[in-house]
Amino acid sequence: MEWKLFADLAEIAGDRVVAVDTDPGETVGDALGDLLEAHPGLRDRVLDDGEVADHINVLRNGSNVHHDDGMETRLEAGDELALFPPVSGG
Amino acid sequence: MQPISILGPGADDLAGTLAERLEGRVAVVRRDESPDESNERGHHDGDTAGDTTLSLSSDGSWTGRGTVDGFDALLDRLAPDHDYLVAVGLARLRVPAVLLGDDADPDETPGDVLARGAGPEDVDVDDLLAALVGAEPWVTRELLVDRVERSADAERSGAIATFTGRVRARDAPDDERTTHLAFEKYEGVARERMDAIAAELTDREGVFEVAFHHRTGVIEAGEDIVFVVVLAGHRAEAFRAVEDGIDRLKDEVPIFKKETTESEEFWLHQRS
Repeated sequence: MEWKLFADLAEIAGDRVVAVDTDPGETVGDALGDLLEAHPGLRDRVLDDGEVADHINVLRNGSNVHHDDGMETRLEAGDELALFPPVSGG
Repeated sequence: MQPISILGPGADDLAGTLAERLEGRVAVVRRDESPDESNERGHHDGDTAGDTTLSLSSDGSWTGRGTVDGFDALLDRLAPDHDYLVAVGLARLRVPAVLLGDDADPDETPGDVLARGAGPEDVDVDDLLAALVGAEPWVTRELLVDRVERSADAERSGAIATFTGRVRARDAPDDERTTHLAFEKYEGVARERMDAIAAELTDREGVFEVAFHHRTGVIEAGEDIVFVVVLAGHRAEAFRAVEDGIDRLKDEVPIFKKETTESEEFWLHQRS
């Protein structure tokens, strides 16, 4: 799986695209765990009391995982995952 | 319109080759190095590639289809009715570039460098055309107004409303000056969200067309960032759709803004 990171999250990780070893059938939460293990600097920025902070967006294939089963959402082959802070366009 | 700068020795030759390969309406702009011969510069017919050929003189005026100041105005003016602009020896932020010459420095080039070479023969035109497909086009408010005016419902429209977001140098007179903003976009997903918002707004009674464009990259103080253009039956629904359109874009579309002032640099979401 690949994570796409944006704004300061990409700066902390040092990369905009991060590959993790999470397999199809595992969950978005597993993929996030693998990402935070590879880039521990992201942990404080992304988590609040062990949960994903309210203002952090987690998307799977362009759609917020809240619309599916949240962090329990099962991954399929070829999924695109994205992690970003509050949007600030305009 | 997709602009491209070609810089360095042999740029003119490469511009000619490229212009012949580009499909659609192509403008070729050259920097005029001979301001003394002002009567001679201007339109070149027949012998060069490109549908529009212009010369921009060192004092910022250009000839060919009128006189305006500078490269920016020329980009804005040509954008609505050209598919490509090939600029020889002219560069700016957010215009991708080809850099020729052994001593050329990409760090000194304001736009993204798509290709490099000692001379024009070193640049693979097929690769360059492919790279250009992924580059950001030059979109203006006027281009979007022209687009919505071509609506099948234009006859029933009595109103066009537009919103333009721009880089504010300072909010209050004694604020520190903002020099520029840098925007990044979640490509694909940002477009999908804007299209979905536009589709919802055009479902409203009397709203016929909604066009969004948000620029990315580095945008300097005073420059435009984002446009929302609405074609509607009457002014009330036009104003409402424009306001809701920009509000929803700011809330929902994955675009991120980093601000640089005279003394610091920060992401906007960390200050709100």
